Amino acid sequence: MGDLMDPGRPPLASSISRRTALGVLAGTGAAAILSGCGSSDNRTTLRWWSPQAAPDQLKSYKARIAAFEAANPTIRVVFEPTSDEGYPAQFAAAFAAKQLPNIVTHLPSFAAQNYYAEGLLEPVDDVIKVIGTTQFLNGTNDIYRTADNQHCALAIGNTAVDMLWYRKDLLQAAGIAAPPKTWDELRRACQAMQKPGLYGAALPYGMNAMTSLIFIGFIHRAGGQIFTPDLGVAIDSQPTYDPLEFYRSMREFCPAGASNFSWGESLTAFVSGATATGIYGGRVLANVAAQNPAIAGAISCTVYPTMSAAIPAWTFNDFPCLMIPKGAPHLAETKAFAAALYQPEFYIQQLHAAPGHVLPVLKSVPTDPRYQANTLIARYPAEIDLMTRTAATGHNLGQETAKHRPNLKANEIIASNAIAELVQRVVLNNEAPKPAVAATAKRLVELMRA
Amino acid sequence: MKKRPAWIVSLVTWPIVLLIAFPLLWMLITSIKPAAELFSTSPTLLPKAITFEHYARVLQDTPFLQYFANSMILATSTTVVVISISVLGAYSLVRFAYPGRETLASLVLFTYLLPSVVLISPLYLMLVSIGLANTLASLVIAYTSFALPYALWLLRSFMAGIPQDLESAAMVDGASRMGAFIDVVLPQALPGIISTALFTFILAWNEYLYALVLVNSDEARPLTTGVMTMLISAFNIEWSLLMAASVLMSVPLIIIFAFFQRHLTSGFGAGGVKG
Amino acid sequence: MPDIALQRSGLSRERRDALLGLLLIAPTVLVLGAVIVYPLLSAIALSFQSVYTPTLEGHWVGLANYRELLGSGGFWAALLTTAIWTVGTLTLQILIGVAMALLLHQNIIFRSLARSLVLFPYFLSTVVAVLVWRWLFNDLYGIVNHGLMAAGIIDAPVNWLGAMPNAMLSIMVVGAWKFFPFVVIAVLARLQTIPEALYEAARIDGAGPISRFFDVTLPQLREVLTIVILLRTVWDFKEFDLIYLMTGGGPVNGTRTLPLIVYQQAFGLNQMGMAAAYAVSMMLVMLVFMLAYLQRARKAAA
Repeated sequence: MGDLMDPGRPPLASSISRRTALGVLAGTGAAAILSGCGSSDNRTTLRWWSPQAAPDQLKSYKARIAAFEAANPTIRVVFEPTSDEGYPAQFAAAFAAKQLPNIVTHLPSFAAQNYYAEGLLEPVDDVIKVIGTTQFLNGTNDIYRTADNQHCALAIGNTAVDMLWYRKDLLQAAGIAAPPKTWDELRRACQAMQKPGLYGAALPYGMNAMTSLIFIGFIHRAGGQIFTPDLGVAIDSQPTYDPLEFYRSMREFCPAGASNFSWGESLTAFVSGATATGIYGGRVLANVAAQNPAIAGAISCTVYPTMSAAIPAWTFNDFPCLMIPKGAPHLAETKAFAAALYQPEFYIQQLHAAPGHVLPVLKSVPTDPRYQANTLIARYPAEIDLMTRTAATGHNLGQETAKHRPNLKANEIIASNAIAELVQRVVLNNEAPKPAVAATAKRLVELMRA
Repeated sequence: MKKRPAWIVSLVTWPIVLLIAFPLLWMLITSIKPAAELFSTSPTLLPKAITFEHYARVLQDTPFLQYFANSMILATSTTVVVISISVLGAYSLVRFAYPGRETLASLVLFTYLLPSVVLISPLYLMLVSIGLANTLASLVIAYTSFALPYALWLLRSFMAGIPQDLESAAMVDGASRMGAFIDVVLPQALPGIISTALFTFILAWNEYLYALVLVNSDEARPLTTGVMTMLISAFNIEWSLLMAASVLMSVPLIIIFAFFQRHLTSGFGAGGVKG
Repeated sequence: MPDIALQRSGLSRERRDALLGLLLIAPTVLVLGAVIVYPLLSAIALSFQSVYTPTLEGHWVGLANYRELLGSGGFWAALLTTAIWTVGTLTLQILIGVAMALLLHQNIIFRSLARSLVLFPYFLSTVVAVLVWRWLFNDLYGIVNHGLMAAGIIDAPVNWLGAMPNAMLSIMVVGAWKFFPFVVIAVLARLQTIPEALYEAARIDGAGPISRFFDVTLPQLREVLTIVILLRTVWDFKEFDLIYLMTGGGPVNGTRTLPLIVYQQAFGLNQMGMAAAYAVSMMLVMLVFMLAYLQRARKAAA
């Protein structure tokens, strides 16, 4: 390297002709612009978005796309990953720009209801009919029924998002016989297992969607709710103060960085062996197998503990769904491709790419030998079975219990981070729960009204 | 000045230099460590084993190469567009007299300091309404909004430093004004133009905010936002992959830096400081 | 030597010249008008409207956005956060930058390599800088925590990015690391032009190295530092990428500076009009600062 700031010498070797250099500069630029414009064949392009895009899942999508393109030579399908935390902004931009993806999968059910209410989605009743209404597990598509009696989306999988994952070996070493069922037991177990280099839990405290979604579960597990069945704000009550206190008391058992945890960090903390318990869906199985096989024999999951034994469990099912944005071109082709995703052969491949994480919504699949012929599904039958059953009875902010009306603002409430902010204010800023909850309640009222 | 012996100052300076360079060194080391070593509770400074699998995976299993191509096209196009406009503009600002010239010059200074976030919403609306959102072209236009004032600012001070004599002599010899510009001014301004072009390229290569807002498809996504979406996935955080991607993403900058440092520093002098 | 023929045709030549000058500047003016002036004016117009981002439908609301913004307290808190970030990171940049420039001005071994290594962070993409530093600061696997624990300075991992004031200090450090080379380059260039005679004279007067720095070097650097501080203040004030990617504005709103609020309003909360109001207010604050600073600098120089 030459001396950087020696002012004396001429900056460019004088042997290069300056005009030549200018010519080269202009030439490469023009070439770059031209190469940017070219290359588009005359096939119809369908864009497919999903946040579920782990390498194995990508492979299964590519197989589906390849087979579909072979059968429909005039169609090209392009898959693009989006993110669980980033999709609201991405969607806002895409809708505004009218640069819509044709098909979006694996977003939470409430996103579909929200976008449909804004007039941004196409009803998908045709697709459900093509696949066969009775092919779906009973009631699976009910949460997508809209006010005008259509379906704003259809189920593509179930996910039991907030299972309690734990290490049998560590529980045993701490002298604990059974996995915790109540919060007190959970806290005691974490305390007993925690030691230098090992934390008790991997709860998220970040300003993000995960923290909001996970904490909503804690309110329900204290017997509370965010909204009444008629969608009045119900958060300002004892069953919100209690979980805030509990969540705060768990902070000392979580890694220092938990204040920034979202899905990826929380999952990796448990998988890497840094925490003794985790909170996540079935993805844990595949990640442990790939990244930390040493603990594969020691992991198991159960429903997340509740405040007291008298309060029933509440599990967060994302209800990953498939939706079709309104105004994207090639609607007929899009619907054909959407239905093609459910052909058993390929549908099972998609499920196998994330065993136990995306759980089947088609009736025939759970007992299908092709589905069961998967190492992880075969290795963890009890866990898979528990998650399948729990997810099916799960709920989310879009419809907190069976009695609730669908909440069309759920997507915006999560995107606003209002609930994550409540958690951060109480846990990280040490504010008193009551006034913080009151402020959040006010914010929710505003969001519902907006 | 009586120089202190080189080794005493070196003994003080070099540890500090290495400390400053450490994050980059650590990026390099992490990228060639086997993934299992990352989660070790007592990491070693030097990798126990060296592997290039992360590089292979970044290049094969992720859309990295597409992002790379997008960034290349984007940065090169921005540079060409901005340089062609600003060379003429800067020449006009330093050599011609016409009403409004001074106002224009101060407007350039003002826009040079204007925050991107002020323009982001209206630029977004504008590009959406002309149907360019989600294309590389939209980013070239958006990048012009900060790169053009910057390039003008730099080139203006470079050109102001070119003596007028040769140009006048050429014109006395019968050359037209534009003839003199092409034959006399441009060659003399070339170091400045190269320096400005490099800066524009680097600015465009590193831009993040507009890319975040204006592009939502992989076909037009540049490296900055592309690599970040790889980080915030919900199913995994692979630091070794991210470090490998970071190294690869910096390769063009390292090349520019290794071969054209002098141009970069002279650009600093002209644009950033002499003002 | 005045040429009589040239002088006679001077008038028309001047006019032709001016015309050519305008022709050459025309593309610049057109492009700047399209990508800066027009968007700037529409930003101001937008700030008087309420616009829902996904549909881009909006209506006029007059001064309501500004009333809400000034009344909510959020703006003032963010302004304070922005000021703390700017002053903190800038101070570090200047101190490290000047110190490093003085060292690199000395005759050290492998000087050009040392200079290259020191300058490189400035050219690095912010995205890369952030990834590297987030990895260094990682609570569970990061080398910073491991190193400090091995040295016995801390006994449990420190939460560098998720607690206050750590998060603010961390981004200040990363900002300083990324941007101090700018100060180094500017100061180093100036150092090379300080006449050696000034130092000789000081030495004859019996001044030691410290008083030579304060009596000779610093006054000579005054002008360049004035400009460096102005530019870096403006750039740090409007910094988005680094903070957004390091902390996202958290914990809570601990590092949420004004540029982050603009983005959050526009694309997180889908309130494009409100975002514009924040942006315009932020620009006004910067303008006021710049004018005041230049005024003072001019007075100090006179």
